[in-house]
Amino acid sequence: MNDVRVVRAFIRARGRAPVSWSDRYVSVFTLTVVALVLADPLTSALAAVTAGASQVDPSRLGAGIAVVTLGYAGFLSLARMFGPVVLPAADAAWLLLSPLPRRSVLRRTSAILLAVSLAAGAALSLALFAVLAGSAGHGTLVVVTAVVVGLSAAVGGMGAAVIAQSSPAWDSWLRGAVGCLVVAAVLAAVAGSGPGRHALAAVADAPRSLGAAVVSSSAATALVLVRQAWRALGRIRASSLLATSTRAGHIAAAAVVMDPGALTWAAEENHWRARTLRSRPWPALLSRGAPRPLRAVSAPLATAWHDWRRLVRRPRRSAALLGTAALPALAAQALGGTSPVAVAVLATGALAAAVVCTAGARRDAENPGLARLLGVNARAVLAARALLPALMSAAWLSLALVGLVVTGALTGSWWLLGPLAAPALAAGALRMARRRPIDHSLPVIDTPAGPVPTGWIVWAMTGVDLTVLGCAPLLVALMVRPPVTGALLVAQSVFGVAILAAFLLGARTGVRRG
Amino acid sequence: MTDSIVVVRDVNVVLGGRTVLRDFGLTVARGDVVAVLGLNGVGKSTLLRCIAGLQPQTSGVVGVLDRPPSDDSGFWRDVVLVGDEPAWYPGLTVLEHLELMHAVHGSSRFEVEAALDLFDLEERRDMVPANLSTGQRQRLSLAMALLRPSRLLLLDEPERGLDSAFRTRLAAILTEYAAAGGTVVMATHDLAFARAAVARQVTLEAAA
Repeated sequence: MNDVRVVRAFIRARGRAPVSWSDRYVSVFTLTVVALVLADPLTSALAAVTAGASQVDPSRLGAGIAVVTLGYAGFLSLARMFGPVVLPAADAAWLLLSPLPRRSVLRRTSAILLAVSLAAGAALSLALFAVLAGSAGHGTLVVVTAVVVGLSAAVGGMGAAVIAQSSPAWDSWLRGAVGCLVVAAVLAAVAGSGPGRHALAAVADAPRSLGAAVVSSSAATALVLVRQAWRALGRIRASSLLATSTRAGHIAAAAVVMDPGALTWAAEENHWRARTLRSRPWPALLSRGAPRPLRAVSAPLATAWHDWRRLVRRPRRSAALLGTAALPALAAQALGGTSPVAVAVLATGALAAAVVCTAGARRDAENPGLARLLGVNARAVLAARALLPALMSAAWLSLALVGLVVTGALTGSWWLLGPLAAPALAAGALRMARRRPIDHSLPVIDTPAGPVPTGWIVWAMTGVDLTVLGCAPLLVALMVRPPVTGALLVAQSVFGVAILAAFLLGARTGVRRG
Repeated sequence: MTDSIVVVRDVNVVLGGRTVLRDFGLTVARGDVVAVLGLNGVGKSTLLRCIAGLQPQTSGVVGVLDRPPSDDSGFWRDVVLVGDEPAWYPGLTVLEHLELMHAVHGSSRFEVEAALDLFDLEERRDMVPANLSTGQRQRLSLAMALLRPSRLLLLDEPERGLDSAFRTRLAAILTEYAAAGGTVVMATHDLAFARAAVARQVTLEAAA
């Protein structure tokens, strides 16, 4: 028994009661029920995937590869963002800063990371199988390739993230790899929509030997990365582990109070803490340059200018956000036209583009101390704060609609609807930014599909409700796909402006949460 | 228009079934500095929140600048509250927070550079508030509060996190503010600070 096991046994002896046979029975029973519940939908999904896949359409293959690659890039980014090696607060405080061997302290965390990687790998394998199913009729080889490549990519990627935590050089490499994956996804999507259809068709018709080579090389790479990661565990700096564990503590706290908003503040503060900024004066027109009669307009605009400056200071995030405007076109290509999923991706992306520009409104809603100190009319500030999310969502939505037209999912001047829907998107985003924490005292309703916590539903729908209402003409048109007429444009502009005006007039501006 | 800036008459506040303030009265004239003293939990912060209109009183009258306090921009143009939690916007530096205050109000009691100097924030001008120490964040809050024009300052334990040298300087700043026609009501635990600010001392007793 090594020292860490002695310490853990000591803690266990004074903490929770030892695991009894009934605890083990409950765990096994729960896992069995979960497996039984998931077996049917998973089998149906696999059957659906394989049934219609006797022939591979290069355009759908390209879009599918792009979606899988983006998903993998997201997995690597999340692993890098959250650590990935973290410790519970108590372990970070007491065991980390002790003479105990670091790798032993991190053994339990390593096991959890491996389990997470395997779960992610299973999802990746399923997605890969869905994309490759039907390739040249190599049924068994496709299954083996999808499973091995998916699991190797996830486990190897997690290994690389662990190494990156202890080595700045590896961290740079990993960041570069994520960037390359995003570029590859874009190339695959573009190739599928025309210029590279032959290349994708060749992938679909690849010989068995190439598949075997890919399987063996990915498995070998993953093994090497895991071995290196195991070695790196002993070298991870305590400062890095303390930082990631503090972040994990924020996440745990947010999970306990079930307020996902707390997570974004933790990430936001961490981002600015690590940056060196150069102060810039406020635009003269919004400060000393504004004549006295215009003060009623310039003061709210000066307050809202904070959101503009924050956006300009994160150019890469803004560029990435605009880059995601290609996702609806990808989804439409992968799923064959403007399906409900593609429309949902479009609406979610447009709303997300508006939401990232509402940090000021969120901060004022959660801690109104600074807003009171500024002493500016709250409704006027809210109106001024609507400008940036409206502009951002208009740009995003127009780009996304252009993408759908270019890939042939839509025809006509659909991009015009982007700016017209923007006011409703801004209203929805601001309403979302000002929503209260989840009210867990609201009742849980029993439905045939299971219990529904209304507090969560109300919280999740706050903001989405206004967006759906204000974008109703656009959303209906996307499902029906009529030609873009003047009547549609007028209807969308009236809905958008009316929703924003109603939101601004009805917004509560007095005492909120103390 | 009277010379009384704050009038609190026979105020009772009950929170969670417990009486926090009982028949409390206070009148603060223009140019006064009032220090509210007392043990933890006797209602100092509650009194400040009543005066700011953020805590409705169970009974009694609270008047600020000849009207009941209200949480609207007209009220906050005259009244400044520095509470227990310093607030800041993400992604703005110390200097930009002061610039923001200056830009919004058009005029200010002193220049932004002078505020940096007065509140010992010159070397922290390009830092985000999250990277400041507790005392430096408190100084930033006070600098923003005192930079903008106002008629009444409500300060909840303004000495929190400040070193003794800066407490003395803050006392002088508050005295100057009052001499220029402003009014200060502050809750504090630091008797020496209250004396240095030449404050009228009001000691709260437990209501129960």
